[in-house]
Amino acid sequence: MLKILKTLCIGALAATVTAGTAQAEWPKDRPIEIIVAFAPGGSTDVMARAMQPYLEKELGAKIVIINKPGASGEIAYTQLSQAKPDGYTFSFINTPGYLSMQVQRKLRYDPKSIQAVARIVDDPTAFVVREDAPFKSLKELVAHAKANPKAVSVGSSGVGTDDHLATILLEQAAGVSLTHVPFPGAGETRTALLGNHITVGGLNVSEFAGGDTTNIRPLVQFSDKRAAEAPNVPTAQEQGFDVVMSSERGLAAHRDVPADIRTKFSDAVKRVVDDPQFKEQAKKLALPLAYLSGEDWEKQMPKRLQSFQEIWNKTPWVQ
Amino acid sequence: MEFLDSLILGFSTAATPTNLLFCLMGALLGTLIGVLPGIGPTATLAILLPITFFLPPLAALIMLAGIFYGAQYGGSTTAILVNLPGEASSVVTAIDGYQMAKQGRAGAALAVAALGSFFAGTVSTLGLAIAGPALATLALSFGPAEYFSLTIFGLLCATVLASGSVIKAIAMICIGLLLGMVGTDVNSGSERLTFGATELFDGVEFVVIAVGLFGIAEIIVNLETPELRGLIAAKISRLWPTRDDFRRAWPAVLRGTGLGTFLGILPGGGATLSAFSAYTLEKKVSRDPRRFGKGAIEGVAGPEAANNAGAQSSFIPLLTLGIPSNAVMAMLLGAMTIHGITPGPAVIQNQPELFWGLVASMWIGNAMLLVINLPLIGLWVRLLTVPYRLLYPAILLFCCVGVYSVSNRAFDVALAVGFGFLGYLFRKAKCEPGPLLLGFVLGPLLETNLRRALLISQGDPSVFIQRPISLALLVAALGLLVLMVVPAVRKTREEAFVDEES
Repeated sequence: MLKILKTLCIGALAATVTAGTAQAEWPKDRPIEIIVAFAPGGSTDVMARAMQPYLEKELGAKIVIINKPGASGEIAYTQLSQAKPDGYTFSFINTPGYLSMQVQRKLRYDPKSIQAVARIVDDPTAFVVREDAPFKSLKELVAHAKANPKAVSVGSSGVGTDDHLATILLEQAAGVSLTHVPFPGAGETRTALLGNHITVGGLNVSEFAGGDTTNIRPLVQFSDKRAAEAPNVPTAQEQGFDVVMSSERGLAAHRDVPADIRTKFSDAVKRVVDDPQFKEQAKKLALPLAYLSGEDWEKQMPKRLQSFQEIWNKTPWVQ
Repeated sequence: MEFLDSLILGFSTAATPTNLLFCLMGALLGTLIGVLPGIGPTATLAILLPITFFLPPLAALIMLAGIFYGAQYGGSTTAILVNLPGEASSVVTAIDGYQMAKQGRAGAALAVAALGSFFAGTVSTLGLAIAGPALATLALSFGPAEYFSLTIFGLLCATVLASGSVIKAIAMICIGLLLGMVGTDVNSGSERLTFGATELFDGVEFVVIAVGLFGIAEIIVNLETPELRGLIAAKISRLWPTRDDFRRAWPAVLRGTGLGTFLGILPGGGATLSAFSAYTLEKKVSRDPRRFGKGAIEGVAGPEAANNAGAQSSFIPLLTLGIPSNAVMAMLLGAMTIHGITPGPAVIQNQPELFWGLVASMWIGNAMLLVINLPLIGLWVRLLTVPYRLLYPAILLFCCVGVYSVSNRAFDVALAVGFGFLGYLFRKAKCEPGPLLLGFVLGPLLETNLRRALLISQGDPSVFIQRPISLALLVAALGLLVLMVVPAVRKTREEAFVDEES
């Protein structure tokens, strides 16, 4: 017992010493690496690069963005979990993927080794139809789906994405049967929708609100209140279906990164999100900014994780 | 008249000193990254994106677009000189282009590639200006069923890619199809052939296979023969194509341009498909198909024209509908939205100077590329006389840097080396890697679209014959098959495939 205590003491001492030295120099020692878990050009990547100059100014440090695409983020998260916890490596994490992958497969990293630092965006999932579609509301779409099981096809950005999970949740809430058609990304979904190859496009608010909406009609956003970027699109709850789903994006670090570095970083992110000039850019990208501190964000995660587990138990989305 | 006014507006906007400067910068940078395999335009655009925030929107877009089509020029240079295709679209250029270089005709191949690309760029830019909006609507009518039929047609054409035995070509296509299956299945989300490695969850990168099978395998083969002089045994005859070269290349450029302009509009594999199909077409219409694979200039001219035309016309869906047809276009879409421009029909009406300025800048950029590239040919060709023992470590280094930079991981480099050894074995067995790559590109396209079409039709296979475009493509594919099987035609086909070396 005493021996364990002694080891613990030494460990704690060592931790404070290393934390102390890192703290003294952070973040001026060397460039901060921010991992983007997706390929260049994706919406997370574009957002990261839009933030880069602002975050550099706030931190007074150089930032390098590194794309580590693959396995819907698992490669990036694995790397983050193996990085030295010195505050020079952060990674973007995206929900629901970050949470749903913990449900759907055995991971190569321990999710407990990663800690959320700041949420930046909360982008509600939405259903969009062509402008000439006969449906004017989610209710009408559901009625049509009830009368014609499987006839309504919903395009998503892939298996296990928020679009897909929203489809499953709506099927359960409304008692209908839809045909889920996965695409590699939102661009392909949108193209298929405009070409009238699918009935509904599962998109996020940022994926249509900033763009040209002349040919499409958003029917519903699956948020608890209407996003500022799409004030005219009713929520699912307003239309009588209790389905809430969104894609959140934020930053995370190794759990052993000293708390004060995490706080400093999180505060810098908050100042960027509040910067009017950045807000202007975010508006052009139609990013629904929704800052949350790492602690507050993490508090929400167990509940969401549990709901994904419940969906998975009923309808595992990966065969 | 209205069209002329628009073009004049475009040129007057694009020809300001600032815009010309950014056009030149983009084109130069594009050529540079095109020459380095693997460092593709997508990554370059991503790195430059934050810088463009501080530029005027048009200048930014002109530069970014320049990088994209500049890379198409640069990519063919390494394909021809050292058998190293940097991108999917330059794989077929390597087949005959490299043979030409070996025969001392690298100058001719490079010149024809540059001139053909310029011509194709001019025509498809005009096409974009005149028929852009109408063409984009046509592209939208391509759904899963149409893509499936198009891919079937493409795969049948793939057998023509090989200059050796048909059986081996089919075997290589099948290996390519298998490699294409590696990774997470889009439809079910389950893993296939990944052996539990997270690095394989998204399949194998195209660049990894191409660099391994072409670049690294080529180095191994070359090192087999102890030759201390230059890469090429033959004397470099002349830098400029002969009159006969021009006579052969000209119609090939015309056909390639037509194919590329059309296929480039299609979202997805359009630009890659166009280069492959152009090669197939050239071999089909040639009076002497045996020359292909042994340094036929049509085999360079057609695909080069097609991939450049395809690169230009992939702007059509982006500018007219706001739909990006590939990753580079997605980056450009991101750049546009950051500058507060919403691509779509509204751009042409509300900001005509932007739309037409960009279109005009593409033509100017293509002209600049020609001016940059033609004098460089002499320099490139002289590179081939560098002793191979000095040249190959450099090539190997570029291969590794390029492969690493795709996803920033060492795993891919090891994988590329593995494919290099595999490519060497293929070489020894006289199996050609071209059909393998086409199978690899088209396989996933075929599978996902087949399953997607059946999902939407709820399992009813008649969609493929009910939709007119799909039906037409399937009939064409059937026709091709009949041509291959019918004994009377068989003789000529065997001429095409005869394996002279065996």
